[in-house]
Amino acid sequence: MDNPERERKNFWQRIHLDLPLLTALLCLMGLGVAVIYSAGGGDTGLIIRQLTRLGLAIVVMLVVAQIPPAFYQRWAVPLFALGCGMLVAVLLFGHVGKGAQRWLDIGVTKFQPSEIMKLAVPIMLAWFISRKPLPPTFRDVFIGFVLVLTPTLLIAKQPDLGTSLLIASSGIFVLFLAGLSWKIIGGMVLAFSAFLPIMWFFIMHAYQKQRVLTFLDPQQDKLGSGYHIIQSQIAIGSGGVSGKGWLNGTQSQLEFLPERHTDFIFAVFAEEFGLFGILFLLALYLYIVGRGMVIAMRAQEAFTRLLAGSIMLTFFVYVFVNIGMVSGLLPVVGVPLPLVSYGGTSMLTLMAGFGIVMAISTHRRLLHNNR
Amino acid sequence: MNKRNAKQKKQISNWRFYTVFAAVALVFTGLAFRAAYIQVIDPEMLREQGDRRTHRFLANQVHRGMIKDRNGLELAISAPVNTVWADPKVIGQHQGLEKTRQWRALSEVLNKPHDKLLAKVETAIEKQRRFIYLGRHIPPSMAEYVEQLDIPGVYTRAESKRYYPYGEVSAHLVGFTNVDDDGIEGIEKQFNEALTGEAGKRHVLKDARGRVIKVLDEEESKPAKDVYLSIDQGIQALAYQELKKAVKYHGADSGSLVMIDVTSGEILALVNSPSFNPNNRSTLTSRNSRNRAVTDNFEPGSSIKPLVVLSALEFGSIAATDMVDTAPGWMQIGGRRVRDSKNYGEMDLVSILQKSSNVGVTKLALSMPVEHYLDAYYNAGFGSDTGSMILGESAGVFYDRRRWSDFELATLSFGYGLSVTPLQIAHFYATIAAGGIQRPLSILKLDKPNEGERRFSATASNQVLKMMEKVTQEGGTGIKAAVKGFRIAGKTGTSRKAVAGGYGHDYYATFAGVAPMSSPKIATVVVINDPKGDEYHGGDVAAPVFSKVVSGALRILNQNPDQLPEKTLEIAQHQEGTPSV
Repeated sequence: MDNPERERKNFWQRIHLDLPLLTALLCLMGLGVAVIYSAGGGDTGLIIRQLTRLGLAIVVMLVVAQIPPAFYQRWAVPLFALGCGMLVAVLLFGHVGKGAQRWLDIGVTKFQPSEIMKLAVPIMLAWFISRKPLPPTFRDVFIGFVLVLTPTLLIAKQPDLGTSLLIASSGIFVLFLAGLSWKIIGGMVLAFSAFLPIMWFFIMHAYQKQRVLTFLDPQQDKLGSGYHIIQSQIAIGSGGVSGKGWLNGTQSQLEFLPERHTDFIFAVFAEEFGLFGILFLLALYLYIVGRGMVIAMRAQEAFTRLLAGSIMLTFFVYVFVNIGMVSGLLPVVGVPLPLVSYGGTSMLTLMAGFGIVMAISTHRRLLHNNR
Repeated sequence: MNKRNAKQKKQISNWRFYTVFAAVALVFTGLAFRAAYIQVIDPEMLREQGDRRTHRFLANQVHRGMIKDRNGLELAISAPVNTVWADPKVIGQHQGLEKTRQWRALSEVLNKPHDKLLAKVETAIEKQRRFIYLGRHIPPSMAEYVEQLDIPGVYTRAESKRYYPYGEVSAHLVGFTNVDDDGIEGIEKQFNEALTGEAGKRHVLKDARGRVIKVLDEEESKPAKDVYLSIDQGIQALAYQELKKAVKYHGADSGSLVMIDVTSGEILALVNSPSFNPNNRSTLTSRNSRNRAVTDNFEPGSSIKPLVVLSALEFGSIAATDMVDTAPGWMQIGGRRVRDSKNYGEMDLVSILQKSSNVGVTKLALSMPVEHYLDAYYNAGFGSDTGSMILGESAGVFYDRRRWSDFELATLSFGYGLSVTPLQIAHFYATIAAGGIQRPLSILKLDKPNEGERRFSATASNQVLKMMEKVTQEGGTGIKAAVKGFRIAGKTGTSRKAVAGGYGHDYYATFAGVAPMSSPKIATVVVINDPKGDEYHGGDVAAPVFSKVVSGALRILNQNPDQLPEKTLEIAQHQEGTPSV
């Protein structure tokens, strides 16, 4: 254990953290707190709760980062099975809140099993694919799809469109990074297009259809379902190039914008900090994703490469779906702006994911030497 | 194991990561472009929408100004009232209709059938309306009661209602407002802007719940101004009372009276009968709502004759002492006849006016050049408005002919072939009374008299005025216009109303005059339209009204009697000599 290589490790590597990634994450969190303060109308209680969560999330990340990736490799299957079991349990006797059945009451607290699946699915897929010869055969890809679709459909049934989308994409990213052949990708795109009408007529709930219709023409129901989209676009647009300044956004401060400290926080940010602020925020996100990809590429094993890549790309999907939704490019799905939006569970999961990525970045030599 | 890892690493090629990262970067660029599009390329609409949601202009309520007479008596005042309105959406949200007892009480207060009120609210809820009136102009005490009923979605609002203390006396002149407090007739309409003032505007920022967050800009309100009319309400009331009595007594269609302050051009009284009660407009009809003194034209008849005499004197075709032969009481002009009621023989100018001789004035009219003669009519103000600015004022009709036949000139001289308003006649008499100086009329109280313009020579004007004095004296047609203690100059007029194809048997009875003679103060015109019954002559129908109103007005205006010494002496002697009579 006392080899010279080990000696050369710096402090951050010893506590298994990636400094560039950590800096960017803290930056983002700080920005988030500032915007929440503005959106919440200076409610300090809100800020304290968010800071508590952030602290908890950082602790979770720290803890997860200490666990060598091999651990997940070993526990991939049980974790996945447990997750799926809980999803079924949610559907059978879950707690209903806000019109959806997403919560499982385990006596002490209520939690959403779908959050576990956000990590369990990429771990499972990465484990499954990395055991097979690469690039994966058609049969392996098919099994991979089944593994992805099972939790996705269970979550879509709750219904929770946003999360199921994230989970599906996390699995598909693993398959893509593993070297999914372009033929299969092409076939999937075709199959998906064929699937769309089926989804529309048989799977989607009326409110989900309404969201899509509203997205296509928000003005048709200005005060109803189109209200979110119109208000958020107005907020973004009224920011202009340089923004109205922190705490000075009228749309957000004056409560015209709904969900302004959670899902629609980007609109508040855009109104107050303008185009320059948006460019900075996007650059920050791009930097985080890029840093994650660098870590993934440096990873030595197929499992870790796939897992890190998938986690980072899922993070990207978060950002894309949220900003796309708020700026009117995508229909409204309940996805928070990662690390900026107010809210608990998804942040814990995200930071746990970053913990895994950091573990991958710092545990590799150790892993290598043990073998 | 190492070998296998190495193999795997090779197989998971880096280019997939690069591809994915490139895609991510591309997507972020797309998002940035989207934001730039919303914020920079097409932000105007969104910004405006944002402002439309937050910026509001609020008006500060200003009470409508009062209309007062020249002495400060209120002719129109605003009384506070309340309006009950409802927000049907709020009622729907709070199941406000379930408060049956309260709604019953509300319908009672508003004096509306319970079921109708409920039906109105229910339809409004269905249609998702946000504002309906439940009742307007209810007294403040009732509004307080409505507030106490505390029905969610039912509110009250302070407004004001116009009240006219003098009712029908000045109704035509003052006019009235509609339910929204906007003037729609008379002075109320004409000076609506000044009376309304300009409500102060506050530019505020409002949040989604409609609360005012910040006042961005405040514009001072321009307080509503009171309008002071030139009218003297004391004279006005007397005039209306006498006019109404006369119109009723003679069974006339209508009547008008105008009184002008000769020294300033201010209109002291302007009344019409029939009138209406502006406080209860259910009495309003097209017949009683006309401000006839300024809107209705009529052929003035003999009351125009002083103008002919004046014009002839000015031109010099006759001197004040000359005689005119009117025998045999008629004359033939171009195959048509002008007649007097009898053969007056040789007459001086005084007698021509006193007896109102058509032949006399015809001879005078034809004694001067046409241009000079017609100019007199223009100079007198016929065919143009009086400058009073009263809404709906007519300028009368005065034909601008190329060629005038002698007969047409003759009819013009005794007041046919042109149409004037009572106000124009009064204006003309005021001009004579002011020694030939014409002042634009004013319905507003003036600080200093209107600047006048000389239209006729002072000498000729004073001569004519003096001649007209005889009209109200023994042997004149207007003796009933005489006022005790004062010297009065005036002229009667009795003109036939034109009907299709000629003249009928309906008359306008007119008396126009000036008082007091020694230093003229007021010019007054009384016109009674179509008196029925035996009396239809201006001297019998209009002159008594003139006498009573002018006598009262001179008292109100504190004018010194100019005929007192002789008369009182006479009366005193008389009483001494024959106490038993």
